[in-house]
Amino acid sequence: MEKYLRTPIKEIIGKYPPVGALLEEYRIGCVPCSVGTCLLADIVEIHNLSPEDEATLMAGIAGIVSPGQVVALPEPRNRRPETPRKTSYSPPMKALVEEHRQIKRFLAVLPVVIDRFDARSEADRDLVRDGLDFVRSYADRFHHAKEEDILFACFDPGLDILKAMREDHERGRAHVRAAGEALARGDGEGIAANLHGYAEVLAEHIKKEDEILYPWMDRNLSMRQVGELFARFQAVDERFAEDRKKYESFVGRLEDANAEPISEVR
Amino acid sequence: MMSGCPGSRTLTFPKDDGVQVPAGKVPSQLRQWPIQLHLVSPSAPYFQGADVVLAADCVPFAMGDFHNTYLKGKALAIACPKLDGGQEIYLEKVRGLFEDANINSLTVTIMQVPCCRGLLGMAMQALEASSRKVPVKAVIVSLQGEVLQEEWAAV
Repeated sequence: MEKYLRTPIKEIIGKYPPVGALLEEYRIGCVPCSVGTCLLADIVEIHNLSPEDEATLMAGIAGIVSPGQVVALPEPRNRRPETPRKTSYSPPMKALVEEHRQIKRFLAVLPVVIDRFDARSEADRDLVRDGLDFVRSYADRFHHAKEEDILFACFDPGLDILKAMREDHERGRAHVRAAGEALARGDGEGIAANLHGYAEVLAEHIKKEDEILYPWMDRNLSMRQVGELFARFQAVDERFAEDRKKYESFVGRLEDANAEPISEVR
Repeated sequence: MMSGCPGSRTLTFPKDDGVQVPAGKVPSQLRQWPIQLHLVSPSAPYFQGADVVLAADCVPFAMGDFHNTYLKGKALAIACPKLDGGQEIYLEKVRGLFEDANINSLTVTIMQVPCCRGLLGMAMQALEASSRKVPVKAVIVSLQGEVLQEEWAAV
């Protein structure tokens, strides 16, 4: 079993697909992950299962990878009783989750914008241009930069989970670049495909961060680190204050115009 | 059925004196003096930019590992929200920690008894009045020293 604990999860799921389904039962969503380089041991740790659930999950995986064999299972980490009964996001994580909420509002409206998009309409092209500006500035330059330059620097850069998050950011950026290029050549299908691709990457990415990554980080950050992150995020927020208002207001107008002609959104 | 004030109700906790504890002295993590909230000053060097613990008086006695779990690496102030006088001075001092000492974070450790909530309430009032915000974590400790709850207070 030790060998599998040190094996990338995609490799295990590729060889033993039922492991993916079993992980899903514990709300460990590795199957759709495009990277999959996280080691099984790290995945079990990061999801902070109860000792009972961890033991059952490991027994289940052992039953799939070594059916009918007696396998020595690792001792479940007995961390739960030592951790508080109730957890909440630390203030800096809460700020990131709030920024996610704004990005998710944008993602929720995006399919309607794509459906209504007419490449011949100047107003529609302007709307997509504004949407790409929101994504580049708010989601990437403001939010993702906070993560990559400040938050992730608190942890070992070699961690697979951080590599996976950075890769998600890069995939999102690639879709935005491609959507911008499609817009420049008036390619409606290219715009739609890349905006849908972006929405898909970001929705899954945000879910992973809100539900798994940030709670794990909160469990591992010291009070010193939380205080420093809070102060550094505040400094970024102050520099970005005016733009932030502008972009959050853009999302609000986009939502308001959801049931109205697109040309009235701007 | 419980009656009277839970904060002053008489209880005894039977302990097995034969239980082995790690050998050797456990070093203190205290890095300063004084510690009582009336006696400390926000201008004291040990508070500048520090991570601070504001502990209800009873907490370090109830928790066997208070020093290593909460005090290590931090500056300390202690107070009793039920018995201490001059609590308006406390409010100003804690505000001074946020604004003048530029502390990095505040951990408020209190007992589970209802009267202890007053210490957290006072700290939050000071934070609200402060022009400078920092993360505040509340830790609620049981009468037998277990951490019942750790929660981030809304900034």
